[in-house]
Amino acid sequence: MKVLQLTPERCTGCLRCEIACSYMQTGAYQPAKSVIRVSPFEGHTSYAPYTCPQCAEGWCMTACPVGAITISAVGAKDVLDDLCVGCKLCTIACPYGTMFYDTSTRKAFKCNLCGGDPACAHACPTAAIEYVEGMPADWIGDFAGERVAHVLATTGGR
Amino acid sequence: MPTRHLIIGGGTAGMNAMRTIREEEREPSEITLVSAEKPYSRMVLPYYLDRSIAESHVYTATAAHLLKWKVKTHIGRRVTALDVKANACMLDDGTRIEYDDCLIATGSSAARAPVPGADLPGVHSFWTLEEARGVLASVKPGSQVVMVGAGFISFTILNSILSLGAKLTVVELAPRILPRMVDATGAELVEGWLKAHGVTVRTNVKLARIEDVKGRKRLKFSAGPDLTADVVIMATGIRTNLGWLKDSGVDVRQGVVVDAHQRSNVPNVYAAGDVAEGRDLISGQPAVHAIEPTAQEHGRVAGANMAGKDVRHKGSLIVNIVEVCHLDAASFGAWDDGKAEVISGLKKDRNAYRKLLFSGERMTGAIIIGRSNDIWTTNDVGMLKGLVQSGQPLGRFKEHLRRNPFDVKTAFIAAKTASALLPETVLGRPSLAPGDSPVAV
Repeated sequence: MKVLQLTPERCTGCLRCEIACSYMQTGAYQPAKSVIRVSPFEGHTSYAPYTCPQCAEGWCMTACPVGAITISAVGAKDVLDDLCVGCKLCTIACPYGTMFYDTSTRKAFKCNLCGGDPACAHACPTAAIEYVEGMPADWIGDFAGERVAHVLATTGGR
Repeated sequence: MPTRHLIIGGGTAGMNAMRTIREEEREPSEITLVSAEKPYSRMVLPYYLDRSIAESHVYTATAAHLLKWKVKTHIGRRVTALDVKANACMLDDGTRIEYDDCLIATGSSAARAPVPGADLPGVHSFWTLEEARGVLASVKPGSQVVMVGAGFISFTILNSILSLGAKLTVVELAPRILPRMVDATGAELVEGWLKAHGVTVRTNVKLARIEDVKGRKRLKFSAGPDLTADVVIMATGIRTNLGWLKDSGVDVRQGVVVDAHQRSNVPNVYAAGDVAEGRDLISGQPAVHAIEPTAQEHGRVAGANMAGKDVRHKGSLIVNIVEVCHLDAASFGAWDDGKAEVISGLKKDRNAYRKLLFSGERMTGAIIIGRSNDIWTTNDVGMLKGLVQSGQPLGRFKEHLRRNPFDVKTAFIAAKTASALLPETVLGRPSLAPGDSPVAV
């Protein structure tokens, strides 16, 4: 299976991935509707993108009471809009915080790997996001851990 | 001879068990389903009530689906007795069914406050599809609706009642709303929000009786003024449907006592969902969790074991979420543990609240409230669930949360919570898509 491989050391925080993602997902250039989200670290001097890891359990999928989340041809957990009633059970079942809810359509939405051609990976100018063969992984934990620990240490935290 | 599985109850737990049996079995088995109702999802009834979906959308299995699944059905029937020595059950139409193993998944029913007038016409419960039809037929634009009980069930249909154009009053016996879902600070925030959105809320009031006054209902309380309503909805709790198991030899406390395999004290009798007293993930103690995710997990684990696998359930995590007038309120795990270390934050101007409970470095419970259109509310809901579910030690990143309880994401990522979560699956293998299994049409 191909996955979104994230290399936070390369991320410049340009947010092009969010803009591309929101356009693919909703047809609007609106980072607020993006399902890949860039987090700042160390007072906005470093950044890391974060999105659905397409986990093996598929907590969102197994939680859906109407079978509205399925596995697409490219292995992504995908919300079927016609079936989703907007009950939000997936948002509380997903332990990664990568389910989204659109208050205007009253539907859940999430990363579906753009059907196998992820717009975020295309848009990323530094290859911080790549769509490659691999396994889901915690791509940014170590990167974030070091930086948050550094901030805590230098500002009097433990 | 193929194994004969008997599934008693066609709700979430039963449906998940049947699906998992079919996914896991090596050789085809016989499945018989006894269900008092046609299988449907209770979770989606609020969306049927507000007319955003058709009634056909609530069903989780049609007769055709069940036929395709090779499930023999006794729909509209109830089991009246279980004979665990003879491995047989009796139905209310006199049918006797023998089984090799069986699953008790009979769920819960709505319980009404025991007051005079609780059974008058025009006084409804909202739990079953039939009850939902009754409420839908009664609530009209401009109707005065009184909901008795300000708990989870009320709050799941609150938006629907408002969107039907009704005027809504919620009354609650406890000193605050959502007493079993959020703490006092959270309840105050939600109550203020509701009042600002035109809902009348009265807490600390005890309903004494309901009287019929020319078709309308008058609600009398032990103190304070009466209320008049066109429609009364009793959302005063639920009780497990276990009476029929009396004297069966199956060990019942709050629910059917089950081990990690969802087995009762009778080795070929399993239980799942609202009727099962399994392990609470956080406390490790036996508990009944009458919530959808527990019914799903219990059902899947029971189904896998009935199909001959050896799958142990780690325990179920209490999770609840309601959205009222675009305000989300959710809680997880041991959110009401008075002994836990607490880190909390309140932003009244943003209607945002976070309460994080810890045992050492691990998060054991959480409450989160925030506006639905704040993206971070939805994302934080998931990440808090992930932190509590995984029990990932937060180490020094707990200090980050102490400084800013609203920056859950940074702590979640830095503590490498995703690393802890990724290997986790309920059945010890990747989940399959619902695919061709009974999905609403």
